[in-house]
Amino acid sequence: MVIYPASSCNRHKRNERLDKMKKNKKYMVISAISMICFFVLWELVTDVFHLFPVYSMPSPIKTFQAFFIKLVNPSPDGSVLLVHVAASLQVALTGYVLGAIVGIPLGILMAWYKPVDLFVKPIFDLIRPIPPIGWVPIMILLLGIDLKSKAMVIFVSAVIPCIINSYSGIKQTSEVHINVGKTFGLTKFEILRKIAIPTALPMIFTGLRVSLGVAWMTLVAAELVAATKGLGYMLQIARTIGRPDIIVMGMLVIAGVGAILTGTLEFLEKKFVRR
Amino acid sequence: MDGKGKVTVRCKDLCKTFYAKNRKQDEVNEVIRNLNLEVKENEFLVLFGPGQCGKTTILNLLAGLVDATGGEIEVNGKKVDGPSCDRGMVYQTTALFPWMSVMKNVSFGPRMQGVKKEEWKKRAQYYIDLVGLTGFEDSYPVKLSGGMQQRVGIARAYCNNPDVIFMDEPFGHLDAQTRYLMEEEIEKICSKEKRTVVFVTNNVEEAIYLADRIVVLTEMPASVKKEYIIGLPRPRDYTSEAFLALREEITQCVEGNVAEEEVQG
Amino acid sequence: MKTKEKSLAVGIGAAAILSVFLIWYFAASYTKVSLFFPTPQKVFSRFAESLSVPIGKYTLQMHVLYSLKRVFVGFGLSSVTGIILGVAMGYSKTVNAIVRPIFNIIRPIPGLAWIPLAILWFGIGETTKYFIIFMGGFANIVLNSYDGTNKVDQTLVGAAELLGANKFQIFVNIILPSATPYIFAGLQVSLSTSWMAVLAAEMISSYEGAGWIINMGMNTGDTVLILVGMISIAIIGFALANIMRVLERRLCSWTVRGK
Repeated sequence: MVIYPASSCNRHKRNERLDKMKKNKKYMVISAISMICFFVLWELVTDVFHLFPVYSMPSPIKTFQAFFIKLVNPSPDGSVLLVHVAASLQVALTGYVLGAIVGIPLGILMAWYKPVDLFVKPIFDLIRPIPPIGWVPIMILLLGIDLKSKAMVIFVSAVIPCIINSYSGIKQTSEVHINVGKTFGLTKFEILRKIAIPTALPMIFTGLRVSLGVAWMTLVAAELVAATKGLGYMLQIARTIGRPDIIVMGMLVIAGVGAILTGTLEFLEKKFVRR
Repeated sequence: MDGKGKVTVRCKDLCKTFYAKNRKQDEVNEVIRNLNLEVKENEFLVLFGPGQCGKTTILNLLAGLVDATGGEIEVNGKKVDGPSCDRGMVYQTTALFPWMSVMKNVSFGPRMQGVKKEEWKKRAQYYIDLVGLTGFEDSYPVKLSGGMQQRVGIARAYCNNPDVIFMDEPFGHLDAQTRYLMEEEIEKICSKEKRTVVFVTNNVEEAIYLADRIVVLTEMPASVKKEYIIGLPRPRDYTSEAFLALREEITQCVEGNVAEEEVQG
Repeated sequence: MKTKEKSLAVGIGAAAILSVFLIWYFAASYTKVSLFFPTPQKVFSRFAESLSVPIGKYTLQMHVLYSLKRVFVGFGLSSVTGIILGVAMGYSKTVNAIVRPIFNIIRPIPGLAWIPLAILWFGIGETTKYFIIFMGGFANIVLNSYDGTNKVDQTLVGAAELLGANKFQIFVNIILPSATPYIFAGLQVSLSTSWMAVLAAEMISSYEGAGWIINMGMNTGDTVLILVGMISIAIIGFALANIMRVLERRLCSWTVRGK
């Protein structure tokens, strides 16, 4: 029987691993090149060759500049960037938190107590097919154009995913676990608190994440339709006076704030949900 | 087996080490060390070993699904480098294609090789009948029980007409009752359709019941510990004295109470 | 027993909806709410009337058809391109490496935030609306198609290889079918965002469509008109969601859900 020295096997393997690392590095390089190409191309078609009219397509450099100018300069829409961000965040978070506070318990109750389910579900099904943005006109007419109306629209947009996810989260509780609870003499409420809700927690967090995304999108749309402050309003004004640099900058800020919000939530989820 | 006859599968000094990159350190996992194995034509070989000893990895290597770190594998004299249809596999998880009916699953191999429709239909039907699934041709795998799914897996492997079939603990997920039934079924199929089979299991009774020859593996890193040629007449009786004695001996061997003997190459 | 339970459920459901309308009716008839909120009869009679008497240029059903046409064009475009791109990204690491960084910049921008830029680019015609709907659904379809393609069970790919399938056959017979449920999940979400996007686009710049109706109602202070618009929006939204569900059941009958 031939026994290969262990090192011969290992050397072979090390090569394989190096190959893998090289491959990963290769893809990273491709990504970097593609990113650079994207920005260079963007710059070329705008500032250098002027393939697009100035009023419709900003160059990446102008967009970048617009960001810093807008940080201190309130023109053309009357507020500096951070004020817009704060205004948007205030509305979005108010509606979102309300949506979560109402939606999660409602979803849990619906899933745990049959009569609640039977009673609330039809009403819920009546409301659900209306996209959140469809609520903007009626809310503005009833509540005015300020924080209240938009917060209500955000509330509607956030409450739906919260209800759906906490509902199906609770429904996931396994029959076996519930029976274990029963044999230990827990009441129905205790089983809910100690068994069903912990089971549902990951789903509830999914709901919170989904509704945060929807809320942020709805807010921007609502501000485009009717607002006097906020990021969507800033975009709308920039459009009417033909400032694409502010528009694109604003879109990126919206994306950035959205990403930060989602990131924060994911961080919280990691802390609270043991997987 | 008398040691003569054509060799279907030969593997020489097979090595496999997995490297996983952890956050801080590299994890080195040597699974197989210098495994030497020969499987003769139409032999039913059982690889038998304790829990996690890399049996599945051996089959994946033989099938060409995983690259070896060192050593060589030959099937019918051809070197193995990558999967091909001269080898068939039956999986523990069945690995049926869930979006295909039983008929489509079983006929997958011939269909991919461009066999004509009447031809593959006939062939698939034959094997469906052979495993006793007549009437379930149009059912989807989700609707079948575990045992029935595994029958489809076996039929699928046979229908492609490979030189050797690897079976990776095919009955590992089944309940004891179904397991006995399936063992009998395999025995029947193998007597009707002689094939070279490499069968992996961690169940001694199953091994003795089915095998022409049992290769006992060491713990990780796996290599051959001992071989048993099973000469009991078929169909075998689980409760016969010879069976029980063999069972005792192999169990002892796995637990390491038998002095390690010279391994045959 | 089963039928008894079912009839109880229907009974309670009917009672729930009835009570909503009763509360609405009494509030809008006998309390201060009547100052700014119409009664249900008013809304429903207006709804029925709008089917024959035009609002603006068209009758209600024509407005809805306009919106639907826009959704189908925009959603169709985003589905086709999104599935192709997502599957390509999932199948080839190189394509993923090229597209991913750019996609990651665009993805977090909510679809509706493209409205101002789209108007600058394409004016206020149909193209703008198609583009907005396209952007609304695109990212989700790409992500789901990518996931589905990427998450294909490697055991199944190995099994197919062992049965003699070549790369193309594996792609068609293994990868695409196993990605289908994921792709459908993406399409479902995207269709509802597309429906939302068309409303937003119509509210901001348009002369017809369901979004235009509710915006018109807002601008003229006509609460009844807004509610009529919302009812038609809800009906269409419900229909769209259910069409997708039926399609899914047809195409993915082999999954556990299809069972």
